[in-house]
Amino acid sequence: MSPRHLGSAVLVAIVALATGFVLAGQIKAQLLTPSNQLARYQALVRSVQELEVTNADSRRQIAALRGQIDTLESDAAARSAQTQALRNQVSDLRTHAGLVAVRGPGVEVDLRNGFPGPDTGGQTGYLINFQDVQDVVYLLFAQGAEGIAVNDRRITPLTAFSGSAGEVVIDQGPPQSSPIKITAVGDRNKMVAALDDPSALPGIRARQIQFQLHLTFQGSPDLALPPYDSSLQITHVSPA
Amino acid sequence: MWLIALLVALVATIQLRSEAEVQRSLVGTDATSLAFLIDDLHRANDSLDAEKADLTSLRARLQSGQSGAADQVLQSEADRLRAIEGLIAVHGPGIVMEIDASGLTALDLQDALNNLAAGGAEATDVNGHRLVMGVPIYQTSDGVAIDGVTVSPPWTISVIGDPNRLGLIADLMAQQLRADRRVRQATYRVEADVVIRSVVSAKPFVYAIPS
Repeated sequence: MSPRHLGSAVLVAIVALATGFVLAGQIKAQLLTPSNQLARYQALVRSVQELEVTNADSRRQIAALRGQIDTLESDAAARSAQTQALRNQVSDLRTHAGLVAVRGPGVEVDLRNGFPGPDTGGQTGYLINFQDVQDVVYLLFAQGAEGIAVNDRRITPLTAFSGSAGEVVIDQGPPQSSPIKITAVGDRNKMVAALDDPSALPGIRARQIQFQLHLTFQGSPDLALPPYDSSLQITHVSPA
Repeated sequence: MWLIALLVALVATIQLRSEAEVQRSLVGTDATSLAFLIDDLHRANDSLDAEKADLTSLRARLQSGQSGAADQVLQSEADRLRAIEGLIAVHGPGIVMEIDASGLTALDLQDALNNLAAGGAEATDVNGHRLVMGVPIYQTSDGVAIDGVTVSPPWTISVIGDPNRLGLIADLMAQQLRADRRVRQATYRVEADVVIRSVVSAKPFVYAIPS
C-alpha cells in the first residue's frame, strides 16, 4: 500500500469513527426520551386493551346471566298464574327499558369522520364526537323512535354519552369511534322526514360543509336492536 | 472503507428516521385521554361487576325453589324497572339545580341532562316533568318543549343519585353556565332527600316487537 493510500484509509477510518461517535451520541441523547415515552404509551395502551377485554367478558356474562334468569322465571311462571301475570308485567317493563331485543321498521343513520381542513389549527371538528351521537339520538326519540342502538349498544332510560375528541362512550361500554351506526326502530316516515329537515342537527350540518363530515340515513321495513348488556343499577332511588 | 462509512451513515439515517416516526406518532396521541379512558373503564368495569353480583344473587334465589321466591324477585324487578323508566314517584339523596336564563335551547337542556346522567343521575325532573332518555325534548317557536309541553325558564332540575358525584358535576355546570351571557343565575344545592313526584306516561310500543 502506498503512503498516499494508507493516508486515505486512515482518514476514512477517522471520519467513520468520528461519525460513529457523533451518531451514537445523537442516538443516545435524542432517542432515550422517545423510547421511554413509547414504553409509557405502550403500557397505557396495554391497560386500555386489558380493561376492554374484561369489559367485553363482563358484558357477555351479564347477558348469559339474564338469559338464565329469564329461563328460571319462565319455569316458575309455568307453575303459577300469579307468577305468570307478574312475569308478563316485568317482560313489558324490560322491553321498554331496552333489556329485550326488538325489531321493526325504522331508520339507520351512518356518521363518519370528515377531513381536517388546512387551517383548522388542531381543531377536532372533523371527528364524530359524543355530542353528535347524543343529538341524533334525541332527534330520533323526539320523532317517534321506540328503541335505539348505537353500534349495537342499546340505549336505555338511564343512558349517558361521554368521551373525548373522536371517541364515543355509552354507559359502561368501551369507547367507539367513526364509523358510528345509529339504528332506530319506530315511526320510520317521521324519523326520515326529521333527518331530511335541513334545520335539524345544526352542529353536524355546519361541519358537513366545513369538514365534509358524513351523515347519511336510510329507512328500512325491518331492523333489529340487540338487548342492553350492561349495568342498569339504581342504588340511591327509593319509591316515594 | 468507503463502503463501511456509507453503511454506517445509512444505518444511522434509517435509525434516526424510524425513531422520528415513532416520535411523530406519539405527538399525535393524547396520553391524557388514554388516562381518562382507563379511569372510565375502571369505573365501568366496577359497575359491571356489581351488576354481575346482583344477577348471580337473583339467579340463586330463583334456583332455591323456595315458595314465593319467583314472585318476590319479579315484584322487586318490576318496582326497580318502574323507577328506572320514570313510571313511579321516587325519592333519595341528590341535588337541585336552578338555572335562570333567556335564550337557552333544547340542546342546552339535553347537554345538561346528559352531563347529570353521566354523573350517575338515577331520576330527574325539570319543572315538574319527569325525564328519562326517550322522553322527547325539542325546540319549538315558544321555547324548549318536554314531551309536548313548553318549559319556560327558570329551570329547576331535581336529580337523585350519588350526591358527591352529582355535586361535582353540578358545580362544574354552574361555573360554565355563569360564564354564559344568556344565563342570569345558575346555582345548585345538595340535598339529603330529593322527592320527585312527576312520572312519565307509559306508552305502549306501536312499531317495536320483542324478538
